Amino acid sequence: MNGIEPVALHEATRRRYVNYALSVITARALPDVRDGLKPVQRRILYAMFHNLRLLPEGRFRKSAAVVGEAMAKYHPHGDTSIYDAMVRMAQPFSLLHPLVDGHGNFGSPDGDAAAAMRYTECKLTPIALELLRELRQRTVDFRPTYDGQLFEPIVLPARFPQLLVNGSEGIAVGMATRVPPHSLREVIDACLLLIDNPEATVPELCRKLKGPDFPTGGLILNDRADLVSIYETGSGPVRVQGTWELEKRGRKHFVVVTSIPYAQNKASLIEKIGALVAARKVPQLQDVRDESTEICRIVLELRRRDDAQAAMAYLFKHTPLQQTYHVNLTALCPQRGAEVPVPARLDLRTLLRHWLRFRFDAVRRRFEFELQKLRERIHILEGFEIIFVDLDEAIRIIRASEGRRDASERLMDRFGLDDLQTDAILDLKLYRLSRLEILEIRQELDEKRSEAERIEAILAEERGIWGVVREELVQLRASFGKPRRTRIGASDEDELDYRDDAYIVAEDTFVILTRDGWIKRQSSFTDISRIRIREGDEIAWLIRASTRSSMAFFSDQGRAYVMKVDDIPATTGYGGPVQKHFQFADRERVVGVQSFDPRNLPLLPPSAADPPAPGAQAALPLSASEAPAEPPPPWGLAVSLRGRTARFALMAHSEPSTRAGRKYMRVSGADDGVVAVYPCVGEEHVSLASERGRVLSFPATDVNLIRGAGKGVLAMKLRPEDRILAFELSAERGGGAVVHTERGREVVVTPRRYGASRAGRGAVVLKRGRFVRWDREPVVILDEQGEE
Amino acid sequence: MAAGRYTARDIKVMEGLEAVRKRPGMYIGGTGRAGLHHLLWELVDNAVDEAMNGYASHIQVILHKDARTASVVDNGRGIPVGIHPKFKKSALELVFTTLHAGGKFDQGSYVTSGGLHGVGASVVNALSSSLTVTVRREGAEWRQEYRRGKPRGDVRQVGPARGSGTRIQFTPDEQIFGERAFDPDKVREQLDVKAFLNPGLRIVLRDEARGVTHELQHEGGLRDYLEHLLKRSQQRSILGEPFVLEREDGGAVNGGGFPLPVKLSLALHWTESPKEQLLSFVNGIPTQDGGTHEQGFRDAVVKAVRSWADTHEKFPRNLKVSAEDIREGLVGIISLFLVEPQFQGQTKDKLNNPEVRGQIDQMLRAALEQWLHEHGTAADLIVSRAIQAARARMASRAAVQQVRRKSPVSRRLNLPGKLADCSSNDPTISEIFIVEGDSAGGSAKQGRDRETMAILPLRGKVLNAEQATVAKVRGNNELSDLVRALGCGMGKDLDLSRLRYHRVILLMDADSDGHHIATLLLTFFYRYLPELIHQGHVYLAQPPLYRITGGKKTWWAADDREKERILARLPARVKPEIMRFKGLGEMMPRTLFETTLDPRRRRLLQVTIPEGHRSDTEVVISSLLGRDPSARYKEIMARAGEVEELDV
Repeated sequence: MNGIEPVALHEATRRRYVNYALSVITARALPDVRDGLKPVQRRILYAMFHNLRLLPEGRFRKSAAVVGEAMAKYHPHGDTSIYDAMVRMAQPFSLLHPLVDGHGNFGSPDGDAAAAMRYTECKLTPIALELLRELRQRTVDFRPTYDGQLFEPIVLPARFPQLLVNGSEGIAVGMATRVPPHSLREVIDACLLLIDNPEATVPELCRKLKGPDFPTGGLILNDRADLVSIYETGSGPVRVQGTWELEKRGRKHFVVVTSIPYAQNKASLIEKIGALVAARKVPQLQDVRDESTEICRIVLELRRRDDAQAAMAYLFKHTPLQQTYHVNLTALCPQRGAEVPVPARLDLRTLLRHWLRFRFDAVRRRFEFELQKLRERIHILEGFEIIFVDLDEAIRIIRASEGRRDASERLMDRFGLDDLQTDAILDLKLYRLSRLEILEIRQELDEKRSEAERIEAILAEERGIWGVVREELVQLRASFGKPRRTRIGASDEDELDYRDDAYIVAEDTFVILTRDGWIKRQSSFTDISRIRIREGDEIAWLIRASTRSSMAFFSDQGRAYVMKVDDIPATTGYGGPVQKHFQFADRERVVGVQSFDPRNLPLLPPSAADPPAPGAQAALPLSASEAPAEPPPPWGLAVSLRGRTARFALMAHSEPSTRAGRKYMRVSGADDGVVAVYPCVGEEHVSLASERGRVLSFPATDVNLIRGAGKGVLAMKLRPEDRILAFELSAERGGGAVVHTERGREVVVTPRRYGASRAGRGAVVLKRGRFVRWDREPVVILDEQGEE
Repeated sequence: MAAGRYTARDIKVMEGLEAVRKRPGMYIGGTGRAGLHHLLWELVDNAVDEAMNGYASHIQVILHKDARTASVVDNGRGIPVGIHPKFKKSALELVFTTLHAGGKFDQGSYVTSGGLHGVGASVVNALSSSLTVTVRREGAEWRQEYRRGKPRGDVRQVGPARGSGTRIQFTPDEQIFGERAFDPDKVREQLDVKAFLNPGLRIVLRDEARGVTHELQHEGGLRDYLEHLLKRSQQRSILGEPFVLEREDGGAVNGGGFPLPVKLSLALHWTESPKEQLLSFVNGIPTQDGGTHEQGFRDAVVKAVRSWADTHEKFPRNLKVSAEDIREGLVGIISLFLVEPQFQGQTKDKLNNPEVRGQIDQMLRAALEQWLHEHGTAADLIVSRAIQAARARMASRAAVQQVRRKSPVSRRLNLPGKLADCSSNDPTISEIFIVEGDSAGGSAKQGRDRETMAILPLRGKVLNAEQATVAKVRGNNELSDLVRALGCGMGKDLDLSRLRYHRVILLMDADSDGHHIATLLLTFFYRYLPELIHQGHVYLAQPPLYRITGGKKTWWAADDREKERILARLPARVKPEIMRFKGLGEMMPRTLFETTLDPRRRRLLQVTIPEGHRSDTEVVISSLLGRDPSARYKEIMARAGEVEELDV
């Protein structure tokens, strides 16, 4: 088969991909630094101005006509992308100074789409003319359109820095742009400064241009230095908040949100706030209503007047009512010698200088164009002047000549004129031969000559042109400038305190954890036996605690899982498995629970509650030099199956943990595990029973305090096959773990009877047989223990 | 008997065991192999009942040399031999000669039992040509012999003995069963099951014909049984250890007033097999046709897994996981002991107790749910297994729908709907044009040579295979349509011998988006069908670059050289209009054929990976199309100068 040539995959791919990428970069997604427009925007505006003449003072026309005109003549792409681009240019909430004057539904900040293009109508806005009006004065270059039928401007002769004023957003290949809108007045002020002082620095410029100014208003939280650094590097995050105020109607208090961050969908924002209110995540709020008209007005009903700060802090943290806008000042910049502009990320000064250079050239070209027109007129007028000196002769020559061509040649011969001049003379109307006329011609000639001199003077020096640029900017500022909408810089009262606690309704609740590890809380119950639990399960812990406190669950694998009581599911059903809240290992179980509600912490003995007196340290089993670093009570005390024990600082586990929990003790291997964990203040006794019939009791303070998660020390010396069956901490000498033998005999391991020292083998209670059951009563804490 | 004379005299009451011999099928299900073995199971079950209720620990089954005679021996209490107060006969004789005589009607001597109609021993006796029962109890040994159910004398004491137990030796009647013999392998397998179901019970099978003895005992019960099942079917559990539930609720009554099963044992796990396998037993008897207990089992497993998955939000939102998906690969054994089981038929193949379904559901669901919560690793595996099953089900359903959508006459059923195929079946002359968009697709369809050219239009930009995950690529509609059209599979399944077209030609617009799509497709081929490129099957079509209009005629130029040639030929007075070609849709179908498709006139670029450029290819693809934007930026900027023609 003929006509087949090989091509290497990498070359074919590279050639095509780079072509695609550069096309997107230079002719689709990025705006030009000079007029701030992407090709599609430029072509829409040009079609509206040049082809359809949709001027501000004229009438509206169907958007479909604009889209069709732009698509057919300039922009060979999909109609929806063209219409979408046009709609955006008409939205006062997208552009600070809309370029298209839209009639009909052009969308809303609630994310509603515009009506179809066959319904809507449009024309140019007055400020859009400031981008277009100089087109006829040869201020910019043109190039052929895609099909070679027509010409289109490469950029529009923008009379103000459109890029900064209206902003731009686009994603190209390998790069993107995000320019926020800015106040026209401030941008022009910065330009004026740069004209007056070309060496002005970005911080100096930023004294004029204070920061972005979003059409949707809002509050920018960044401080000045922060913003300066964004304008110095051309990129960085701008944090924007909605603004709000307090209102009172009758006895009720409201927060009224008067603006939301730029480019946020108001409807979905309200939906999010509504969901949070419905889920009672913000107890300060009762209701949300959207009372917006053209003005943003979201009404949040407060429970109490003082709640506003906390409620807003929550919404700012958890909804798009506060947003980060990532500035990226990337644009296409003209490059000397290059036909196609190249993309670059710009600092504020470079960006403005690019525009000013462009503006300078445009003004120069405009004057050059005007000067040329003047000179042409002067030339004609000079011809008239010559003729009028000897008018009769001229008339005679014309009358005697044969036709226009002959007349023209004779006039040229006789008076020394050229054909442009003779043509103009021959076109004169007879009435102009009156006596008055020569005076008028002389007057016009004088005017034109002095005007030409004026322009020549301007063109002679750069300063002259800069002066015009400056003057025109001042005029533009006066006619289009608007006050700033976005406030910059947070005052002290804008800095809201965010505290997790503030969003929890403080109340006492009953936390229930079963032996199988099912957890729930309920606000009340009539009788313990009536609390609903799953069949075959039993309540292991029932603790009253405040929703604002936290609770730790100590597992047999030596991990402490801590959560806010408020996060425990409130239900009168079964609740949920603890594994839903934490990442338990297989077979891991809860063996101890500690509430950090201050009322549930163990009452400290007087000696420990006071700051340790110098003499008191002797009672502790540590040397005096280590004593100061020792964590104070309350402690947690754990004993493992293999007979090891550890005492640790309880308060180390008072803060909510991750799903993975925190280690409090190391257990050795899969067949070891913690038997139980109890709070302790130092006056208790450890009471232990092993499966093989040994029992032991010793003071809790005999157990060494560990820092971090350690293996602990030996509690009871066990034979290799023996395990700890029961462990209790008893405050009285007559209490302790209760165990049963196979035959049903009951043994109570009391300190009084079995007290000895730590790490012993324990007393032999059973010679043969085993302890098989440990009577573990549910832990029920309903009364306040540590209250005043 | 004369016709019509049907009188009271014709009504015959079969006495004793006569009925059994007349209609053996009613009692043992048939007279075939299964029926023959059923005799043995009746006796074994009696012995197991004795064991289950704690009176026996050891059962011996002997298959004698003739292979037709068997003995069942237990060390239970021994059948009572005393004279029955009402019938004035030895209880032993009653048991063996009277239907509906037995110790299992009320719960005095047996709590649960496999036998329940009181017919087991007597039926066996009736169907045996000879049967000898020996009982040891109360210090003596007693014996009675029967021929076809008829005693050959009274129960007599044959001597002193120690301990207790029963031994029954019987030979099935050849008049009924013919010359059939016991199958020792089958017997062994069944006894093994009994041993699994009764952990600790020791069953010895002595096969005298082969001279071997098997000791069957399983301390682990169902857990061992499950393992045994897996090993036999060569499956592997996806869990580390099976879920096992053992419950004894002797005598308890549930809310509805029904007694709970006295004992429930259950073991289950999941395998990679797409099948679900469930074995169930009631009072030690296999219930092959399932029943209410199996229903309860299934309900419970599904609900428990679903509940765990919901608690931990594991099921993807857009995926519906069905009960079948959850049970896929489930292997389970359930054995329960009921006080009053109701079966369908004497062969006890199906359990009928309606209350059992709910009871099993409740007990198993709670326990399994708890187990899942405590074994997160296993639960995760089970749930991912179910999700996988659901996905597979959706995929196969989509495939079926795809087939249905096709015209019934098409032989190539699994092809995407929008493929306009060619009529030739010969891959060596067939070509497929992959076209950008439907507007170009229309031109290409009308302009092609139907015999050898197939057209596949793609919509918009295809997925970037360099950045997407393998799963995403496989799930992508456009790409999977493409692969199905090619017929050769992708990735590991790539098989070029099934390629349906030896020329795969990318036909894209000559604009920047067309270039982009071409690179995306090349990347996909390079990553997922690399052999396609290595074997030279991938081509790039070369649509013309310029349209030249002069007067009333139009020319197309493939490149600048051709453009100049055409311009030179034009008469001087004609002002040519030269246009950069934009999209394939601009052309008339005929023109498209002439300029781009026609094998005699077209130009194709054959995509190759030249020796020594393998690493270049890798670098270009991974930097330009990969995930790292800075590498892409660098490469684009480095090559920006080489680009000839840009879209505006």
